[in-house]
Amino acid sequence: MTSSNGTEPGSLPTKITVKDLRFFYGDSLALKTINLSIYANKVTALIGPSGCGKSTLLRVMNRMYDLYPRQRAEGEVLLDGENILTPGQDLNLLRARVGMVFQKPTPFPMSIYDNIAFGIKLYHKVSKSELDGRVETALRGAALWGEVKEKLQDSGLSLSGGQQQRLCIARTVAIQPEVILFDEPCSALDPISTAKVEELIDELTEKYTIAIVTHSMQQAARVSSYTAFMYLGELIEFGKTQTMFTAPENRQTQDYITGRFG
Amino acid sequence: MSLYDARRRKNAFYVTLCYAASAFGLAWLIWILGALIMKGAPGLVPATFTEMTPAPGNTGGLLNAIVGSLIMTIVAVLVGTPIGMLAGTYLAEYGNRSKLAFVIRFINDILLSAPSIVIGLFVYQIVVAPMGHFSAIAGMVALAIIVIPVVVRTTEDMLRLVPSQLREASAALGLPKSMVIQKIAYKAARAGLTTGVLLAIARVSGETAPLLFTALNNQFYATDLNAPMSSLPVVIFQFALSPYADWQQLAWTGALIITMTVLALSIIARVLGSQRKKS
Amino acid sequence: MVDLVAQGAVETPTVFDRAKALARFKFGDRFFHGLTFTAAIAVLILLGGVIVSLIIGSIPAIQEFGFGFLVTEVWNPVTDKYGAGAAIFGTLATSIIAMVIAVPIGVGIAIFLSELCPQPLRQPIGIAIELLAGIPSIIYGIWGLFIFAPLLQEYIEPSIIAFFGPIPGLNMLFAGPPYGIGIFTAGFILAIMVLPFISSISRDVFATVPPVLKESAYGLGFTTREVVGNVVIPYTRVGIIGGVMLALGRALGETMAVTFVIGNAHRISTSVLAPGTTISATIANEFTEAVGSLYTSALIELGLILFVITFFVLAIARYMLMRIEKKGAR
Repeated sequence: MTSSNGTEPGSLPTKITVKDLRFFYGDSLALKTINLSIYANKVTALIGPSGCGKSTLLRVMNRMYDLYPRQRAEGEVLLDGENILTPGQDLNLLRARVGMVFQKPTPFPMSIYDNIAFGIKLYHKVSKSELDGRVETALRGAALWGEVKEKLQDSGLSLSGGQQQRLCIARTVAIQPEVILFDEPCSALDPISTAKVEELIDELTEKYTIAIVTHSMQQAARVSSYTAFMYLGELIEFGKTQTMFTAPENRQTQDYITGRFG
Repeated sequence: MSLYDARRRKNAFYVTLCYAASAFGLAWLIWILGALIMKGAPGLVPATFTEMTPAPGNTGGLLNAIVGSLIMTIVAVLVGTPIGMLAGTYLAEYGNRSKLAFVIRFINDILLSAPSIVIGLFVYQIVVAPMGHFSAIAGMVALAIIVIPVVVRTTEDMLRLVPSQLREASAALGLPKSMVIQKIAYKAARAGLTTGVLLAIARVSGETAPLLFTALNNQFYATDLNAPMSSLPVVIFQFALSPYADWQQLAWTGALIITMTVLALSIIARVLGSQRKKS
Repeated sequence: MVDLVAQGAVETPTVFDRAKALARFKFGDRFFHGLTFTAAIAVLILLGGVIVSLIIGSIPAIQEFGFGFLVTEVWNPVTDKYGAGAAIFGTLATSIIAMVIAVPIGVGIAIFLSELCPQPLRQPIGIAIELLAGIPSIIYGIWGLFIFAPLLQEYIEPSIIAFFGPIPGLNMLFAGPPYGIGIFTAGFILAIMVLPFISSISRDVFATVPPVLKESAYGLGFTTREVVGNVVIPYTRVGIIGGVMLALGRALGETMAVTFVIGNAHRISTSVLAPGTTISATIANEFTEAVGSLYTSALIELGLILFVITFFVLAIARYMLMRIEKKGAR
């Protein structure tokens, strides 16, 4: 791995540190010794051609892979200095701290209100009025309040794709995580919805640390401060987004960014 | 070209056979339903629903049989459904590809198609014989045992249809697994689960064989679960094979009532099922 | 974003707070897992219970008649002598007749529905055929006895007997007199009952054929028959056999329909038009009236035999269907 010039990443506070991470699907090695830092209150984009392992890396950070048999990780992933890959890690607690927004919008089969209230009620005993307030806050936070305040009892599935995705973001924000992982959140959305979601991601950095997997380099350039380029399960280059896109050090990064492959 | 003609002719022949086969299948359905309506409809008078099954040579109705069928079916479904749903949940959510789940799935599929009369014998052995007499309870147990595999199967199938993204999204909120299943997966699969229960009701409401030597029959109106209880299928069986015209008429009417109920349930189940596929 | 920040200032959730909330669910989580596990195990116990109870109930008859029970034709409650020969024969004979009729027709329907039928008619016709499976078995019985059997007796059986009369061998198989009820009638009604199983399973397995395979065959100028015969059926053979075995399992255990039209005669006859009996019909007819423990036990042993036969048939069916499912998944 090469670090782009012009920055001293080490001086920023780190939220997640990936150390010598190797990941296996059954017997096949999908991530080959990854080392990476995700800085607090910054957006870090993971880019690379499909199959490069960027989604896999993201799914290690909240141990989503644990849902499936025959998938395992070796090495360390430190969240605030604590290794989350230890067997004793409470997964539910981890996932409450590290939220995730998926490629396809996944509203739960319940009302818009309940989609948000559900997660809140899970962790906090709150009064009805406080719950209402929190739902509103979360929906406002996801820039969705104005569009849905009249129909909170409608099914979450009745919303448009872009609205559904923002509902999912609101749902994640509502339980107040520390990190939010975005797995190609805009790939199923139209350009206008995409713009709204990107704007939202930008605002979210005030409170949250964000990692986003995207196949769109323009998107990475627009939303992220740091970018990691991955290829064939390896982290090729990591650095400030601006530097990566203007003066990448690595030849492969350059080829990818200029569209010569991928 | 003659070879091609021969092929075409051969094809036309086989295609015709396939059409004929379908017409054959449909013809029986129409014939059976038509006969049922012709024979059964004249008996659809109020007395059928308000009077008890009669003694030979008398007129009467099917009230006690209808009530008995309702009671036993409802209890059997209420008992069998939760067990079946939990077992199906285990197979879909916890057991998954383990050896144990494989064996249970296999056994369940066999129970699903096992002869229902054998279930009757089993319940006779474990309930009727120890109690010393036939009873509605025994009938309910037998029907519940028939409900379970139907519900296990549909529950597992329906839970498997719940998209994995939805599970991931729920897990990503930190939801414990049991909550994901109960609050998200069950809800998402609701239409399918209802279909399963409807199919189970349809299946047991026509069952006769397992009731013959469990609930037996009762000529009178009885709600005592500890005593024999009449049911539509058993009354049909008894009355149809009797030499009395009144009884045979009641058997036909009962047959019509059961068939319409069962077919209506299956059709509703299907409509629900196809709605789920669309959404 | 004002709101969000304001909210954050009011309440900062601590990790500890959440851990406590989640700990509350730990018990519920384990409890639910345990509950589903128990229910799943109950299914196993159910099957075990059925087998064990049937074996225990059969012991007196097994001790009395031994292996000979399976091959003896005598069934005499008066002298307390029982043999399952006639019932086993009748069960197998009716099921074989049912399969001979239902397999070609069922597969034909499946071909019609998946290859030939105009798209808008596929669903309604498919559902109509499957409704045949929804009609309760006792309905087939009453219909068979009062509508179908008299018709057979009056018109069809006499001409069958007359037609095969001069042919040696076959005249034994179709010997008169025309009763209307009997082995053939029972087998025929079973055929109608299992038809939907064969057609819907065949249709399902036909759907596992990769469209590319079919398209490339059509692309070579194959006719429908050639595509079905050379591509679809060879590809799905295992699944079709699975469906047939499943239908066979149903036919073997079917009770009420058969009880009405079989004639209840404990004897083995060379003619399929003669009355006979099956295991399930014998149990249904005689169990409640059986007096004496040996009689009851003999009937339970019949049940055990039926269960063992259907168990193996159904196990083979499931095994075959599992193989085609794996093929489809690949």
